[in-house]
Amino acid sequence: MYQDTFEEDDLIAEVELVAQARYSQNNEVDDGFDTEVVSSQTTTAQIPDGVRNFILHFYRNVIDSNIYELHNIFDSSFNKLTEKYYQKQAWPEAEVIAPLVNDDQVFLTLYRELYYRHIYARLTPTLEQRFHSYENYCDLFNYILNSDGPVSLELPNQWLWDIIDEFIYQFQSFCNYRDRIKGKSDQEADLLKENSQIWSCYSVLNVLYSFIQKSRINEQLLVSKNGGDMMEAAGEYGSRPLYKMLGYFSIVGLVRVHCLLGDYVLALKMMDNIVLNKKAMFARVTACHVTTYYYVGFAYMMLRRYADAIKAFSTVLSFIQRTKQYHSRSYQFDQIAKKGDQMYALLAICIALCPTRLDENIHSQLREKYGEQLFKMQKGEDSLAVYVDLFQFACPKFLSPTGKGTDPHQNQLKVFMADIKNQMNLPTLRSFMKLYTSMGIEKLAKFLEIDSDELTTQLLIFKQKSRQYKWVSGNLLEGEYLPTSDLDFCLKQDVVHIAESKVGRRYGDWFLRNINRCEDILANLELSKA
Amino acid sequence: MAPVQRPDNIATMINGVERYNPENVEVLEAYLDKQCQSGEYDLEANLAILKLYQFNPALAKEPIIVKILVKALTAIPAPDFNLCLYLLGEHGHLESIEKLTELQQLLEQARYVKFWQADLKPWTLVVPSFESEIREVIARVMSMSYQTITASALAGNLGLTGDAFEKFCASQQWQINGDLVQIPINKGDWLF
Repeated sequence: MYQDTFEEDDLIAEVELVAQARYSQNNEVDDGFDTEVVSSQTTTAQIPDGVRNFILHFYRNVIDSNIYELHNIFDSSFNKLTEKYYQKQAWPEAEVIAPLVNDDQVFLTLYRELYYRHIYARLTPTLEQRFHSYENYCDLFNYILNSDGPVSLELPNQWLWDIIDEFIYQFQSFCNYRDRIKGKSDQEADLLKENSQIWSCYSVLNVLYSFIQKSRINEQLLVSKNGGDMMEAAGEYGSRPLYKMLGYFSIVGLVRVHCLLGDYVLALKMMDNIVLNKKAMFARVTACHVTTYYYVGFAYMMLRRYADAIKAFSTVLSFIQRTKQYHSRSYQFDQIAKKGDQMYALLAICIALCPTRLDENIHSQLREKYGEQLFKMQKGEDSLAVYVDLFQFACPKFLSPTGKGTDPHQNQLKVFMADIKNQMNLPTLRSFMKLYTSMGIEKLAKFLEIDSDELTTQLLIFKQKSRQYKWVSGNLLEGEYLPTSDLDFCLKQDVVHIAESKVGRRYGDWFLRNINRCEDILANLELSKA
Repeated sequence: MAPVQRPDNIATMINGVERYNPENVEVLEAYLDKQCQSGEYDLEANLAILKLYQFNPALAKEPIIVKILVKALTAIPAPDFNLCLYLLGEHGHLESIEKLTELQQLLEQARYVKFWQADLKPWTLVVPSFESEIREVIARVMSMSYQTITASALAGNLGLTGDAFEKFCASQQWQINGDLVQIPINKGDWLF
């Protein structure tokens, strides 16, 4: 609605620019600036009219707590204007637009959040900017957490998720930057040393844990899990949507941070009170939904619980496929698509290690994207390079809390690949075992071109790998040690006895279900026709 | 491996923000010592120690890391050893870690004979029940995989000979018939 109005304004903005110079208020704002940002717009006068109106519109809606409008502003308007005016340069600094919004510090903090997010996304932030964006987040979080009593600010869920997501992303970006400049410019190294608390691991964790504690989200989730009403456990802060959602998103944020630090058990433990189903709160924001499953699946994979990882990835990949057409307009679409690709890569790894029947759609997509890799992963020694490639593509950007010591990525990769190396000959063994119900060790060894002792060892490895800890019920970390392979064997001295279990395909059920569905659809059509 | 009976004070220390408090490290280390002596095993508490080391490298003590890794070996086939390694990025160069990783690989690759040939004394000093716990791990793999096996092969895998071997087989309810050992079928282990 309003969107149309100021888009019209855009067209006449060029003409109005000259006229605006007469109305501009604080020209002296020029002088106080650091010019670290490459921005040619340093006065209110030079802000395009469309942008000006956008900011006023934005400000008005923050004051009015108009969540619906704010969602539009955040999701589409900001990006449209960025495309139009600020593709290669930063938005005007907060100080520049301050007069437009009566110097409202809270609004300016929110504006700065968008301002820095834009810089990180489209430009390359300088060290100064990294420090400032951190300080801005501190201002924002201090305001929310440490004011006298809960604040009345209300923001759309998507933005709240993005705040947490971006906060962690900037932290990650900072750690990578810090690792890259190790041993380079002295001046920057000194600055880093003097300000070691900026973007420190502790402060990031502190923010996330504080949101969780303040909103009492874990208590609320526990009550809800046991069938009660969340509000009972909410407390003064937790009953307000801002705090509740920030607390909830911080839980997912922590799952992510723990995975980045290599602590997979703790990552899954964070999800203790969240049940993974469609009705969960994370489903309200698609990006959050996808992120949750990605990290849960990744953690399972590093815990060698491949069956559980496969289930997690399949669930969310189906979801993404089904809802693709609704998200193609959202700016988050690219991000979600990328995560989807990464999950297909991880799924390929898991399927190679733990062959399982997959849903048809997922399976065909997987074959399309990674068919060649899947084939190569069955080929013994040659498979290792494929595993490394897929892992490197799909893994999160690991971090070390102190920035010293060995490269965290290399460490994770090394341990993971050591495991893979032990299993690399199993696919070949499997393919032979599928062909026979019993065979002497000597003969099988000859087929596989290895000696009998080595074959025995391989069989024992196969046996160990065909059982995993699998989730049955309860929290994500729980599970039972169950067989996960359709192939099993036992050794009677020198003879291998092999058994293969086949899952019966239940055609009857499938047809019945779909016939019923078809009839329902037809009945509804008849009704609507009448 | 006995299931864990985690004392309340430990539970508070590893849940929530307290997990990051470096002052807790000594209590957790003492709890680890208790596990080594008693045969219990608490993965989460031990991972909490490693996390504190990850955040405060100055606190790291090699003997503690060794104890945690040795205990993790006894948990195979659980991935606990790997989980510890994931948190030990800062200390990967330590010789003891490299030696223990070699042992882990031998166990994961089912090269049990080679395992028993390695020098296990430093680890048994740290965790007295180490050898018997590993033997249990191996015994489980044996009973999953074999119905009949030559006594010599089994003895080699278990690192036992003579009387000790016979006693062990008896305790697992395996029957020695001449030079073969019969391992009864365990319902839970087979598909058929």
